[in-house]
Formats: sequence, structure tokens, C-alpha cells
Amino acid sequence: MDATEQIQTASSFLLQSPPGEINDVLNDIRNIISDDDLLQEGILPALKEYNITQFMTVDVPGTDHQSIVSEAARVSNSGTEERFLDPRSKTSYVFDHLGLEASDPQTVEPDADSEPFRQALEMSTLTYLAAHFHEGVSSVFSTVDTPNRFVIQVVANKYNPKNFWSGRWRSEYIVDLNENQISGKILLNVHYYEQGNVQLTTMHDVSITLPSAIVTSSPTASASKILALIEDEEGKYQSSLNETYHEMGEKTFKGLRRALPLTRQKLDWDKVLGYKLGAELSASKGIFGNS
Amino acid sequence: MADLVDSMLDLMRRLPPTRTEENVAALIGICPDYADDLLGSVDQPLQLKTDRATGRDYLACDYNRDGESFRSPWSNEYDPPLEDGTIPTPKLRKLEITANEAFDTYREMYYEGGVSSVYLWDLEDGGFAGVVLLKKTMTPSTPYEPSGSWDSIHVFETAERGRQAHYKLTSTVMLQLVTRKGSEGENTEAEKKQDSHRVGRKNADGWRREGEVSLSGSMTRQTEQDWPIQDGSSHITNTGKMIEEMEIKMRNLLQEVYFGKTRDIVYDLRSIDDLEKSRRQKELQKELVGFIKR
Repeated sequence: MDATEQIQTASSFLLQSPPGEINDVLNDIRNIISDDDLLQEGILPALKEYNITQFMTVDVPGTDHQSIVSEAARVSNSGTEERFLDPRSKTSYVFDHLGLEASDPQTVEPDADSEPFRQALEMSTLTYLAAHFHEGVSSVFSTVDTPNRFVIQVVANKYNPKNFWSGRWRSEYIVDLNENQISGKILLNVHYYEQGNVQLTTMHDVSITLPSAIVTSSPTASASKILALIEDEEGKYQSSLNETYHEMGEKTFKGLRRALPLTRQKLDWDKVLGYKLGAELSASKGIFGNS
Repeated sequence: MADLVDSMLDLMRRLPPTRTEENVAALIGICPDYADDLLGSVDQPLQLKTDRATGRDYLACDYNRDGESFRSPWSNEYDPPLEDGTIPTPKLRKLEITANEAFDTYREMYYEGGVSSVYLWDLEDGGFAGVVLLKKTMTPSTPYEPSGSWDSIHVFETAERGRQAHYKLTSTVMLQLVTRKGSEGENTEAEKKQDSHRVGRKNADGWRREGEVSLSGSMTRQTEQDWPIQDGSSHITNTGKMIEEMEIKMRNLLQEVYFGKTRDIVYDLRSIDDLEKSRRQKELQKELVGFIKR
């Protein structure tokens, strides 16, 4: 396998990393490929893609909160240097995709027209976050190209390597006041790996048309109604997962393998062998016995 | 530097179980010299084959493979055919035939369908080893019906010690469950008819939904036991009892991890109840307790 193919394989492994385990995966890869110079150069695009799609969180310099590194956070007109935005503190920063740290903070002047509504959404999102997530981080972005369009992102991580599990909840909603629509997705990843490897992966795409009453209210009233809709939908989704679990347990799991045979007893293995022998005997009787 | 094979196994324990085959192939691509180590220690979903001689289905894995060919437990033939393919000694083959019949009964009792295969081979120290394979797949007839598959791989080794035999059993169960959900699937037939002339479909609460829940993985457990033996067929009753006991234990374990643990972790991330409300209630309670104490 040549260097390019090795990098491709390493990148594919990295992108499949369960929540909080990318460093473990990277260490394994370093051991397997044992060419740190090659890896250092080659895997950066994969690390970048992983951080952006997995909503990596970062401490924003000069603030006491975290922000989400994502496609929506990318500052588009930053020239050759890649910068990300924390709209809450109006700070842009450079992100180290390997060290996962932010540096070189710069103040960014927000768009005056969209900022009041964005701030209202941010306030409501933070209230929602505190109400339902144990350790969640959220960011609310306005989109530069399309006015009256906002992106709400939420991520919650729990890493417990001592007890061999980790989990990640991601959700993203695009609030489009031009189309009176919210469309979003909820993504869940859970990894349990004590003497095994069990993974829960879910995708849930949603969309709703906003009643015009919501759109025409004041930013504060409108934002709190939008978050109430999201809170309701995420709560419903979490409850519906319980039903799915129940269904999988009752239908699929039981259908694949019974807890006990129909007789409600374990097999009598002496009889299993004897039964076969008996079946053969009666079969031979069928041939010879009736003559 | 940690052992290379350890790193490969650690990696396989972390990457998604749904992509095991693809990832094992990629690892072999990087380290072709370790192909046998990897194929021997990473369990992959069992492949279904059909015996050309008897028309019966059997299961293929690394244990009945010789080169590119797989041996059927029913006809003892390799497919594609091999002139000098490894086969058990006549005595062991006789036991293998009986074992296949016995575990076929076991399969019918517990799985009510699916396929089973047993392969035995001689060990250099005089004992023998074997693998008992069981697989059942549920294929949905409509997109919103749940689907799933169960693969059991039980590898054992035995050594006779007088009237006793010592058994070492390593069992892996691979379980995959997938359910797809959508607004369309939730609606009743009547609602569908009513809706069919409108563009798009949505629920009474206005949301359109589409999603998939997938639970997949594998768990491995080991046990060592001594059992009495009278004759050769004692090995079948003994391993039969051990494997039955192990599968019952592992089925409980899988149920606990799949439907209990992963669900608990979701609730560790997000709470359905309002956390702020319960925080305020706790504060209020504290205040009240303080008030009463005063």
C-alpha cells in the first residue's frame, strides 16, 4: 500500500472515531502505520473534517464559555487563514485541529440587521440548554449570505473511559424567516465497549412550517416560541426512542432468538442425541419394518 | 511501542461494528503480514453459503476456510472444490456429523429458523477443537419494519483427562438491530389516503420526521469447565450444555447493554424533565428544611 492509500485509510479510520476517542484511534493508527512524518502531513484534512462535523467544542479566549467549531462557525472572508466565529462573544479565532485549542482572538462586528434576532435566539437557546442538557454547549449563528436565516447548534458529550462508554448528542436547526420554516436534525452516537463493542447510531431529520404569528412577533417573543417548538420536538424524539427500544426488544430481539424454547425448558441433551438416533431408527423401520 | 496486533484489536474495538469487514480489509491492506493474526482474532459476520451436493445452507468463517474455499459440514466438500483440502480424521468427522445434527435441533428450538454449522479439527496434543456457528437474519418486508441479525460464534477446545474432559469456550455474539421511522410510517392508512393529494406529509403537530435507529455490536465471553465423559458423544452433550448456558447468559447481557446501558447514556446527555425546575425545587426544599430546623 503506498503512502497516499495509507493516508486515505488512516483518514477513514479517524472519521469513524466514536465520541471522545479520536486520540485513542490516532494512537492505534500511529502504531500501525509507524510513520509519524507521513501522518502529520496527511491526516490534517481528516481531523478538520471530524472536528467540524462532530461539533467540536472550544474554550474561547477571554471568555468563560465554550463555542462550537462547525461549518456555520467558519468565517468566510478571512483570506487564506482559516478562522472560526464565536457569535456570543463576537470573537473570531484560529483553531488548532490537532491540539483543539483556539488562539489569536479578534473582535468581529456583527451584522446590525440580524444581530437582535440572533441574540434573542441565543438567549432562548441557552435557557433551553440549561433546562435539558447536563453538559451541553450551544452556538447560534446568523448566515452572512442569506439575511433572516439562522443556525442553532447544540452538542452534549459524556466521556467515561473508566467505565468503557461515551456518548454524543448533536442537533442543528436552520431557522429561515424568509421561508417561515425550521428544518433540523438530531444525531446520537453512543459507544459501550466493556468486553465488546456496541454502538447506538441514530439520525432524525425534522422540519416544520412556522405559523405566521411566530414570525411577526418581537424577536424575544418569536425566539422563545421557536425554542419551545424545538424543546417539544426533542422531548418527543427522546420519548419515541424509548418506544423504538421497546419495539426492538419485543419484536426484533425476541424474533431472532428465544429466551427459552417453546417448552420453557432447556434442552435435554441426552434426548437430543437419543432423539436423533430414534428418528434414524424409525426411519429405517419405515423402510424395512413394513415388509 | 505497543504490540501491533494489540493496536489493531484496540482499533477494531472502537470503530463502528457495522463496518468491521471493510475495516479489517483495510488493515490487511496496510499490514499484509498480519492477515492471519487479524482474521483469526477479529470476529466478522458469518457468510451464508449453499452446499452444492445437498442444497442445504451452511455458514462460512475462518475455521472452515482453506485458501479461497469453504468446507460444508453437510457434504464435507469444499467449494470451490479442493483436491487436498483439510478435512477431519474419519473418527472426528463422525462426531462432527452428530454434532451438526444436535446443534441443528438446538437451532430450531431457540432460533426457529436461521442456519447452524459445526466444524471440528484435531489438535496436535491429542485433543480436538471446534466451532459452533449460528445465524439468523430478519429482513423487513416494508421499509419501516425493523430488521436485524444475530451471529453466534462459539470456539471450544477440549482435552481428555481420564473420565473427565476439560473445556475452554470463547463465545462471541454479534447482534444488529435497525429500525427506520418516518411521518409516513406513523400515519394510518386513512390518513395516507387523505394526505395523498397534498404535497409532502406531516403529522398532526406540524412536524415532518424521518429517521433511523441502529444498535449494533458484538460481545465476547469466556469460560473453562470440567465435565465427565463416557464416550465420544459425551463431548456433544457437554459442549451443548455449556453453549446453551453461555447463550442464555449472553442474551441477558446483550439485552442489558443494548436496551439498558445505551439508553441510560442517552439520558446522561439529555434529560426529558426540566433540569432547572428540579434544581429550583431542590433549593426550595433546602430552604424549607432550614426553615423548619430553625
